[in-house]
Amino acid sequence: MNVARRRALTAFLALGSALTFLPDSAAAVANRDREKPEFVVPPYVGAYQPQGTDEQGQWLQADEAERTIRDLPVVIQDEELNAYVRSVLCRAVGNDRCGSARIYILRLPVFNATMSANGTMHVYSGLLLRVRNEGELASILAHEFAHFELRHSLTRFRARRSASDALAWASVLVGFSQNSGLRYGTSFQDLLYAVHGSLAAYNRNQEREADLLSFAYTTQSQFRPSASADVWRAVMNESDASAVARGQRTNRYGGVPFLASHPSDLERADTLSLMANRIPSAGDYDGREQYRTAMARWIPEFLSDQIKLNDFGGTEFIIARLASDGWTADLHYARAELYRTRGNPRDLISAIGFYREALALNPQMHAAKRGLGLSLIRSGSVAEGRIALQAFLEAQPDALDAAMLRTLIQP
Amino acid sequence: MHRITLILALISSSPAFANDLVPASTPVNVARSDLQVSPDRDWNKLDARPGRNSETWTLDGELLNDVSFYGGTENNRTLFREVDRRNRPLPRFTSTMLPTDIPTLLENSYRIARDVSIFTLDSQEPIRFAGNPGIRFTYSFIGRDNLHRSGEAHAAIIDGRLYMATFEAPSIHYFANGIAAFRHIAASAHIARPARRR
Repeated sequence: MNVARRRALTAFLALGSALTFLPDSAAAVANRDREKPEFVVPPYVGAYQPQGTDEQGQWLQADEAERTIRDLPVVIQDEELNAYVRSVLCRAVGNDRCGSARIYILRLPVFNATMSANGTMHVYSGLLLRVRNEGELASILAHEFAHFELRHSLTRFRARRSASDALAWASVLVGFSQNSGLRYGTSFQDLLYAVHGSLAAYNRNQEREADLLSFAYTTQSQFRPSASADVWRAVMNESDASAVARGQRTNRYGGVPFLASHPSDLERADTLSLMANRIPSAGDYDGREQYRTAMARWIPEFLSDQIKLNDFGGTEFIIARLASDGWTADLHYARAELYRTRGNPRDLISAIGFYREALALNPQMHAAKRGLGLSLIRSGSVAEGRIALQAFLEAQPDALDAAMLRTLIQP
Repeated sequence: MHRITLILALISSSPAFANDLVPASTPVNVARSDLQVSPDRDWNKLDARPGRNSETWTLDGELLNDVSFYGGTENNRTLFREVDRRNRPLPRFTSTMLPTDIPTLLENSYRIARDVSIFTLDSQEPIRFAGNPGIRFTYSFIGRDNLHRSGEAHAAIIDGRLYMATFEAPSIHYFANGIAAFRHIAASAHIARPARRR
């Protein structure tokens, strides 16, 4: 009896670990992908309404979260910026689809965007800072939209629920077996690891599916296909620059950690590159100038947020990437502020040079005179620094820190 | 078994783990330093310190009114304890900083350690703090709880060390209600012994 029960339990636990997520396992996704033609945008089904209690409940929660976030001060309410970001999404996924998404731009200096079950898209200001053109932005927005169209939140919720159901039943059976003098603790641990591992793999497959569909959207919209891969390369390069400046070892992108929720940046960059090479007659729309014009007012503000994060290498990389189209007074100024904030003696000397370059391009950039004066004083060139601060105070006598600066220019 | 539970309960409720009362009108050294202040009313000193040379006082709980002292932060030290030294290291105070760099140091530390994404400096002016030329600045910010908070800081760099007292409270009611008591504390601040030479 015991032997028969042991065999039955072992078979159950082994089967559980292998098959719990079979319907959505990596193999199934791969098979599904093989059956589909490449890079095809599915027909649009119109305004979608949630089906069944799971999805209706999820939308209810997402609606409540949306009501909360809509009025938070972290949301950038600027109509022009919001209309522009929406126009990029609409260009990427099409006017019919984009009507079902609401975009909230959050003033958070992090490279991220998210999508909720009900069509709420959060775009972080850190993302807008890091992309250089509409093609790069479109690839991320389209990726998030793909999660929505593929109803990933719902299927992920169901996968999690199946996992916890399986574990609950397994723990009951293991408890029962222990009462009968059997020991299945190790098998249960194995099942636990297998379940968590397959959940993470499931998430990664969803990301791959969303990458694939977003690629289909953007290529159909005639965006340059290689723009998507550019984003992920830049993310890796920024991370490396950040680590190097901090004297740390750079990340290894080759492997995927067991519980990683996303594929590695390298895998995404490589896959997207390969896909870009398979498009025979690709579009070449980048929207570089349009992006620069639309973001001209915002990039200096987002750079200012970034500079305050004490990430010297990463921020220097972002500035240099933005400057690949040519250095502007704003970019010189941002670089100078970055160096002055770190404040090593050699940084102050560099900052002085960058402030001067900013002023050479835009002599009316008064903030650069302030930074120049403060850097000169901290570097020991007090007399010269006072002249620069004096020039700043003459131009901006009511500046926030005017009274403090006046104490610095008094002999 | 019950005895062990009782002993554990007694230990955890003993004064060794509790916050302290700071009585009114009694000079007290703060932040394990030579910075001394005399409050005009009773305050609660929290047992948990933000960092090595810092200390927090409150009236109704630190989320409602928070006075923090930074007592002689040394060169190349952070204002508070690191939250993630590898990925999000805090900026460090350097003794060559100008008084105008102090608001930036506080702002950047808050942005990193407390996930503050909206921080506005509202005013800056020269004052004397702890008997030395310093800076008074006011600011407002929104933290993780999405509550608008206002703050005021009085600070000075004395012998290459940063001495600072800050008051922060929700902008509605609590800031106006507590600012006078804080200003009394800040005005009473002095270095109790000659500042140590570096």
